[in-house]
Amino acid sequence: MLWYKGWLETRFRLLFVFSFYVVSLLAMSLVKPPQSSPFARLNPQEQLKAFLGFGFAIYPVAMASLMLAAAGITTQSSFQQTKGLAGSTLFTLSLPVSRLRLLAIRALLGWLQTAAFIGASCLLMWLALPQVRSAVKPEEMAVYAFTLVFCSSGIYAIPMLLATFLDDLGRMLGSVPVFAALWWILRHTPLPASMDLFRAMGESSPLVARAMPWMAMAFSISLAAVLFFLALKIVQRREY
Amino acid sequence: MTEYIIETNQLTKSFSGAPALRGLDLRVPKGSVFGFLGRNGAGKTTTIKTLIGLLRSDSGTAQVFGIQVTDADRSIEVRRRIGFVTEDKELYPYMTVEQIIRFTRPLFPKWRDDLERRYLQMFELPPKRKIPDLSKGMRSKLMLLLAISRGAELLILDEPTDGLDPAATEDVLRELIDIAASEGTTMFFSSHQLAEVEFIADHIGIIDQGKMIASGSLDEMKAQYQRLQVVFADSVRTPERWVEGVENVRQSGRVVSILVSHNVDAIVEQAQSLPGATVERFPVTLKEIFLEHVRSS
Repeated sequence: MLWYKGWLETRFRLLFVFSFYVVSLLAMSLVKPPQSSPFARLNPQEQLKAFLGFGFAIYPVAMASLMLAAAGITTQSSFQQTKGLAGSTLFTLSLPVSRLRLLAIRALLGWLQTAAFIGASCLLMWLALPQVRSAVKPEEMAVYAFTLVFCSSGIYAIPMLLATFLDDLGRMLGSVPVFAALWWILRHTPLPASMDLFRAMGESSPLVARAMPWMAMAFSISLAAVLFFLALKIVQRREY
Repeated sequence: MTEYIIETNQLTKSFSGAPALRGLDLRVPKGSVFGFLGRNGAGKTTTIKTLIGLLRSDSGTAQVFGIQVTDADRSIEVRRRIGFVTEDKELYPYMTVEQIIRFTRPLFPKWRDDLERRYLQMFELPPKRKIPDLSKGMRSKLMLLLAISRGAELLILDEPTDGLDPAATEDVLRELIDIAASEGTTMFFSSHQLAEVEFIADHIGIIDQGKMIASGSLDEMKAQYQRLQVVFADSVRTPERWVEGVENVRQSGRVVSILVSHNVDAIVEQAQSLPGATVERFPVTLKEIFLEHVRSS
């Protein structure tokens, strides 16, 4: 039943993210770049690379992560907290369920929703954008979606961690500088470029580089595991 | 030997250095209806949250059903056997009455469908209505339904009748008495409504500044305390020193009102020996006992 609660809690967020994505996609598919633009002069493969490099993949992933992971175990309490009340958190924590189970189900549900969203958005992208359809086969798109799911896990875990101690708005706003910091660290420190999960979703993705970014995927999953462990420790130690 | 469902020993808890509980010793007998009284900020909610496992004590022990609630894993077992009504009556705003019942039911193996149906009908809760569309009184009733239907051995109720109108309060209190009598459920509840506590409680505990300052059977406590009214024929003449047991003396015109905690007969004798004095004994209310303890504390 905790899955059911989590679903009721997040279904409108999922709908919102998906609607926003569909509108963006429609806008992109309708607006044709002028023939004189540098983009139009690229061949389809280069167009795709520019497209992904522009952050087309990262933007929906980050957005889904923010919206879905941000629904932590204290969700729906932020409004009440402004009034000095604890919200429904007390009711949740008075149930005979461990905090590990509460957090794990909440985190896993958000991750599955993000994965479903990524799958659906990749399918829509392939259907709606001719430049993608002409350059990519369906099975390549599936591999790309698989890569995105794993590379986004590390990103998803950031708002999940922040959700353990920040309210709804704080956890969303707080995630943005952390995303930026992670991006900067991966680009500007001597860490191997193969670990760069942002690049692995864009210019180094299997669609462009024709190779699986295993290192970035492993790094992302490891980062998610560490952040989940930290979130668990916070939730277990925190008093409500 | 009395069996205690809740037992704390020298329980302490501070928030940012400010003590909330200072060596709390609390004992709630099995099968009792225990009224937990105290002023705002006395430590009632902190105690309740500690018993549920939402707060960790700094020192001391707290046991419910003989299980240490400080053990996170074992406190799950405690929560499975209790029904809890929170002070703010906040439930999930995205659920309907029907959905929250469906959500809560499988988490409690001893869930009572008969009680669920009974209270759904009695409290006139509309199953399809969203929780934010319920009045505070209706939310209180819904929380009570969710707590009672768990088939709990212990109900912990933080201001259970808050938000209810007088008629609904009366109904709820009668139901609580009925549950305690028919199911043998122990009830531990906090309330500011002393008349309510007096109506249903058989034991009380008074907490002040994080310490238990009085605890025991309500009947015994009320038998122990008495109010003496001494009316003087002309001028009031009080002794320089009253016999031990006088807790409080108030004078209004020719009438002196004395709250007595023990040694009643000796104090009556002393009052009767005063020139022109007529002495009458009156039982005291819980409110008088509460105020006396809190003021002297």
